[in-house]
Order: sequence, then C-alpha cells, then structure tokens
Amino acid sequence: MRAVEQRPGSPVIDLALRVWRDYSILVVFVVIIVICAVAAPRFILADNLLNILRNTSTVGAIALGMTLVIIAGGIDLSSGPVLAVSGAVLILLQRMVNADGSPALPLAVAIAACLAVATAFGFVNGIIVTKAQLPPFIVTLAVGIIARSLVMYFMRGATVMGNNIPQFTGIGNGSLLSFHIGSVSFPGIPIPFIVAIAMAVVFHVLLTRTKFGTYVFAVGGNENAARYSGIKVDRIRIATYMLVGLCTGIAATIEMSRMAAVAATTSGAQYEFEAITAVIVGGTSLSGGKGRIVGSIVGFIILGIVNNMMIMLNISPYLSGAVKGAVILFAVLMQRRER
Amino acid sequence: MSDASASALSAGVQTPVLDMRGISRSFFGVEVLHKVDFSVKRGEIMGLCGENGAGKSTLMKILAGIHAPDAGEVVFKGSPVRRNATPLEMQHAGVSMIHQELNLLNELTVAQNIFLSREPRGPTGLIAYSRMNDEARRILERLGEKIDPRRKVRDLKIAQKQMVEIAKAISFNVELLVMDEPTSPLTGRETTILFELIGSLSRQGIAVVYISHRLKEIIDVCHKVTVLRDGSFVATRSVSEVTPQQIAALMVGREVKESRAADFTGDPAATVLEVRGVSDRLLKNVSFQVRRGEILGFSGLIGAGRTELMEVIFGMRRPEGGSVLIEGRPVTVRSAIDAIRADLGFVTEDRKETGLVLCRDITDNANYVSWLKNRGLFKGRKSTADSTRQIIERLRIRCSSPAQHVSNLSGGNQQKVALAKWLLSGAKVLILDEPTRGVDVGARQEIYQIIRELAAEGVAVIVVSSDLPEILSICERVIVMHEGRITGTLAASELTEAKVMYYATDVV
Repeated sequence: MRAVEQRPGSPVIDLALRVWRDYSILVVFVVIIVICAVAAPRFILADNLLNILRNTSTVGAIALGMTLVIIAGGIDLSSGPVLAVSGAVLILLQRMVNADGSPALPLAVAIAACLAVATAFGFVNGIIVTKAQLPPFIVTLAVGIIARSLVMYFMRGATVMGNNIPQFTGIGNGSLLSFHIGSVSFPGIPIPFIVAIAMAVVFHVLLTRTKFGTYVFAVGGNENAARYSGIKVDRIRIATYMLVGLCTGIAATIEMSRMAAVAATTSGAQYEFEAITAVIVGGTSLSGGKGRIVGSIVGFIILGIVNNMMIMLNISPYLSGAVKGAVILFAVLMQRRER
Repeated sequence: MSDASASALSAGVQTPVLDMRGISRSFFGVEVLHKVDFSVKRGEIMGLCGENGAGKSTLMKILAGIHAPDAGEVVFKGSPVRRNATPLEMQHAGVSMIHQELNLLNELTVAQNIFLSREPRGPTGLIAYSRMNDEARRILERLGEKIDPRRKVRDLKIAQKQMVEIAKAISFNVELLVMDEPTSPLTGRETTILFELIGSLSRQGIAVVYISHRLKEIIDVCHKVTVLRDGSFVATRSVSEVTPQQIAALMVGREVKESRAADFTGDPAATVLEVRGVSDRLLKNVSFQVRRGEILGFSGLIGAGRTELMEVIFGMRRPEGGSVLIEGRPVTVRSAIDAIRADLGFVTEDRKETGLVLCRDITDNANYVSWLKNRGLFKGRKSTADSTRQIIERLRIRCSSPAQHVSNLSGGNQQKVALAKWLLSGAKVLILDEPTRGVDVGARQEIYQIIRELAAEGVAVIVVSSDLPEILSICERVIVMHEGRITGTLAASELTEAKVMYYATDVV
C-alpha cells in the first residue's frame, strides 16, 4: 500500500468526519437533548435536568465499574442483587440506635461495611471466573440469584426502614453549589452526580494513564497475548470485578440514603441491565478490548433522559422497556456503521 | 485419461482459461492494482508472487467475484465476466478459491462442510445424508484421500482439513483453483502429498493459481510464475528459467543477496542460558546452552517439540523434570513474568494469537513488558512516547503514527512490533519462534538484519524456524530436534539442508 492516503474533501469536512468518528456519541447526545427540549419544553428547565442527573447517578456509578469489566472481556449480572445485599447491610447497621436514640455506630462504619460487602461479592465473582474458568455470564448470573435470594430470606421479603436522619439522607438528596443572586437561583448540583463524576474522573485516569488500565484493555483484547507478555491476567480480571463491586457499594450507599430504606425484592432490581445498557450505548464493545469511560457517562445520562421523557410525555411506564431496547439497537447500529 | 489430458493441454496452448486484462482497483483513493494483466491456460499451474500489499489478494478477490474491478476486463473460458459478478456466480462458472485461513466449520462433518448450502435433498426435502456422504467420499478418493466423510472436521489433522478445503473447492466443477499459501500449516511430507495432488489436478485439466512466499515451492510445483510489485504487473516467467533469488529480486525490485551465516566467533564460555535435562510428555531430556551474542537455530519437523521446549523455558508450560540456568544461576520460571524478570523474551510463532493485542495501538503493544518491568502506577507518557518513537525508527516500522492500531499494519510490521516489545524490555535472551512467518521478502531481510544487530550487541538469540533457508542465512549454530529429542548440533560451517533433514527425520 502507498503511505499517503488521498482523502477527498476540505479540512472542514475532514474535521467534521473526525469529530463524528471519535465523538459520535456526543453528537447523538446533543441531538437527543434538542429533540427532548422541542417535544417537552419543561424538559430543559434546570430543576428537571438536575433531577435527571440525580436519578441516573446510581446506575451511572455501577456503569463505570461495568465499563472496566466489559473492556476486560467480562460481564457482571450480579450488580442489582449485590446492591440490595450491601444496601441491606448498610441499613441494618445504620438503624441500630442507643437507648437515647443516637446512632449506635458511626455512619462511616456502616458505609464502610456496605462497600466491603459489595467488593467482596466482586472478589467472589472474579475468583470463580478466573480459577474455575467458567463463563462470567453464568458465574455472575448465579451469584446474583444467590445474593437476591439471601437478602429476601434474611429480610423475609420485606422493606426495612433506616434511621431517617439528615446526615444520612443528605448524601442522596443533597446538592452542592446552590446560589441565589437576586432573582436568579440555582438549586445546586446533586451530590450523587458529583460522586459519579468524581468516580468517572478516577476511572478515566485509571484506564488511560495507568499501567493497570492498559492491562485491562490487553486482557480484553487478547488474553493469550497478555499472558505471554507477563501480564497477570487473573489478577487483572479479579480486580475489575472487585472494582465493579466497589462501584455497586457506592451506588447502594446513594440509593439507601435517598430512600432511607431497603426493599428485599425491588432494591437494585434490573440495575445490572441498565448499567450494561449504558455501557453499550456509550460505545464499549461487548467483545472486550475497546471502550471509554466518557461513553458510559453519556450512556447513563441518555438512559436517565429516556426515563424522564417517558414521564414528561405521559407515556405508559410499561413501554419503557420498548424504548430502551430501541435505544440499544440504535446505538449499536450507529457504532457498526462507524467501523 | 492421459490422452484426454494431453489433448486438453495442447488445446489450452491456444486459449487461456483465464485472461485478466488491464485490471485496476482502488480502495479509499489508494490504487492497489494498476492495469494488471494476468492469464492462465488450462491445466497450467501458475505461481503468483509479490510482497504483502503487492496486490495478489486483491487480484484474486476480483477473480473470485468478491471485489469488482474499477477498470479492465476478466475473460473466463472465452467469455467476458460481468463486472459485478458475485462469488457464487464465479464458483458456478468454475472458479474456486482456498483462502489462507481455513474456512471450515469445526462442528460439522467433512461431508457437511463440502456440501455446505448445497446439500443434496431427498424426496421429502430433507437432507439425503447417505447420498451426501457417498458423494463426499467419491470426491475425496479423487484426491487420493481416505477420510471418513462422517467425521467431524474438529477431529481432523490440519493437513486433512486442507484436503477437505480442496475437496470442497473441486466439488464445484472447478476449472480454476486459487490456493493462497496452502503449505504454511503443513509439514514437509504433507507438502509433498499436496504437490502431487496439485500435479494431478493439473493433469485433469484444472488450472491452478498458487500464491506463496516460499519461492522454492513455486519453482518446485509451478509451470510459470507471475510477479506483482506495488500493484503492477512485473513479469511472467517459466520456472525453468528463474531461481528463487531472481523471483525475490523481481518482487522487491532490487537484488536480494542469499547470505550464509558464519560460525559463532564470540566467547564460547559466556553462557547466558543453559537448559539441563528438560523432560515432559513430549520432551526427552533436552539440554543445551546459548552464549552471549550467539544466534542459535532450532530446526526440525512440525511436532518435534521445539515450540514446547521454548514454552517450558519461558514458563508457559510446566516440565516434569530439568532445570533452567541464567548466567549460571538456576531460575524457577513458573510464569511469563518470572521469565521476564530473568531477562528472557519470547516472540511467539502466532502473533495474532499470542503475540499482539490487535485492537490496541503500537505504543501499548510495544510497551507491555517494559511497563511490567518498571515500578510505578502510571505509564509515564513522555518516556513511553520517546522510547516508542525510537523503536519505530530503529526497527523501521512503517506506520502512520504510534497510535495506529496494530491490526492495520502489514504482517512484517506487526512482527516488528512483537519484536519491539522485547527490545524495549531489555531482554538478554531472545527466543524467536518462526520470526518471519507471513512476512514478505523485504521485511524478512530487515528482520534478519535486526537479529544480527541484536546478537552483535550481546543478546543471545534463539531462532526456531521450519524454513531451512532462513536457518542457513542467520544461525551460527543449529540444534536439530526430532520427536522431543535433540538429534544433532551443527555449526554454520558444516550446515547443509541435507544434514538438517537427516537429523530431523527418524533416521537417527
């Protein structure tokens, strides 16, 4: 082949093509927002937009960890149930009170226990996937079923209320950076979204700047080549499952704080699929080796917008699956064309 | 039979079965073929040579109906072929192509593979398996092959799979058969059988286009050879009037010297790697040494245990006994990372499977090992970028940038990236398993030069190769293996192909 490629077109078209190739998800994102704003003018109000960000951040946090797992060639179908288990641990520890009504344990201890439990589930997933060499789809599906069953057993299928104190509920329901200047007022950025974005920055740096991130891509891209290059493939795999576990623990903390309650059957239900959807919509390849955190952020916000628009346009909630399924197909179709 | 084939050949002298005239084709504004003429007569075996990217595959894909030409005309059996002919139309017209990678479905039987999508049907519309198996058996017998057509392809040896591919190809009333690098997975004996088969197809009046990088094979099996370079026709010669060196010169456009390596002249006592009594199911008490700056070759037939031995040394395979010493001290190598810490490097025989992460860029692929060797959490973008740029220059890797995905590089440049990984990690012992498989002539010479330079810098290089000319041209000493045993060690000065084959076969 000759080295020089002759491309027709002006530099402007070239630039547009490159933006489209690398950031098509962002273009789609902007188009979606414009369409929504036209279809339902209330959509664009600050309150509504901030509300979307707050609602979508729980799934968003899981989607960040899921991105790593999927890039490494795995998948985690246990996130929803693990959120319920670790959330239950958090609520049960947090609702213990002394005789005078003050919390028996510092909140930090309860949260740490929640994160530890969720990470431990990730460790179990990772160990079984790597050491027993079973497909991650089956392992995490089974672990998820077990986790959901255990939480239902110990809570007898009920909903358990937590200790409804502001320092706890403030995590999920609070906002930062609110201001009022004259008649202009800004309600502030939801804390869950700030947490999700902070996590996203960490994960982005982890994936693009650290050796660990490179090895995650290598393991997902070609496990054998990674092994022959001396990369400890199993450790990388286990680490990605532990990270998605940790993310699920953080998501559980936010979710429990928002509700101040854990429901054995419905807490975290379907979250694993929502998270996987966000990752796929964001352009990460399910076959491993390819993906970006930025894509997953856009992915989970798009899901949040879809959910929000269903309400805005008064569409039956029973149809939400139809819309989300269509979004997945559309997103994957766009990505096929790029290749 | 002989009368028929003789008359077929004499008739063929006048009318080529295939005549491609002035074929041009561009992809994305890059012209890959420029007014190429290519013609083959009935029963003729035509070699097709050229470096990777010379346009051989594109030309054959146009013939097979996979691509349409931008300009030019394809005439098959005297009548012009429609410009947008489909692969199926071409197959029915009598053109079959066997691709370099086998296109068989492992879970189906031999007969099912041969008749895929054209299964004979019974009166009920269901597949008539007994008829299908009988017909498959008949086709295989025509090839002198006795594979049970009911066996699953998965259970066949690679040479048998190749036969199934050929059976599938000739099951369409084939008049022109294109074979792309058919011998690369075959052993010497299997290659001989394949050549006999090609000869017999030719006597049956079938024209064969034979694509190969192994120029000696071209001379052995073909009647004529056509050379392409940079998308243009260079020459068609009768094989009786050219040498492999002359074909290579036509391919690269300059003289290619066939050099012979000299004996090792370094310090014979400076042993870097010593292997003592390594044994496992296949390997039997293998011991050898390699010295600083030495290029040591490993020759033998496929299945002799050379790759397995290298995998033991590199920690990818557990031996039942034996030890490995680096610079005199015994090392325990249980995984690749142990080997890497002992300054070993291993360029594997299959770069797509075990050498490269194709969906990542050159920078990542070249640095995986050096990142592991250095401490620290971060990659260090500046130092990584500098060292990557230097290695790209040093190895003359042709790429648009260090951020180019390895999957978009040619075979030779991919191989250089696989090599770069170990150079950047500072390996003292470098094992190269089939270092030029699927690499074109020009890049091959460059890789030989790099190997010689590394040895001159003091790296001990082990080259495992099934390509005898390759062993002859770079190795200072050669160890020959047969069925897990070392059967002979030869210095470069006493090395001949005959001696190597003597030790490599079961004579000893």
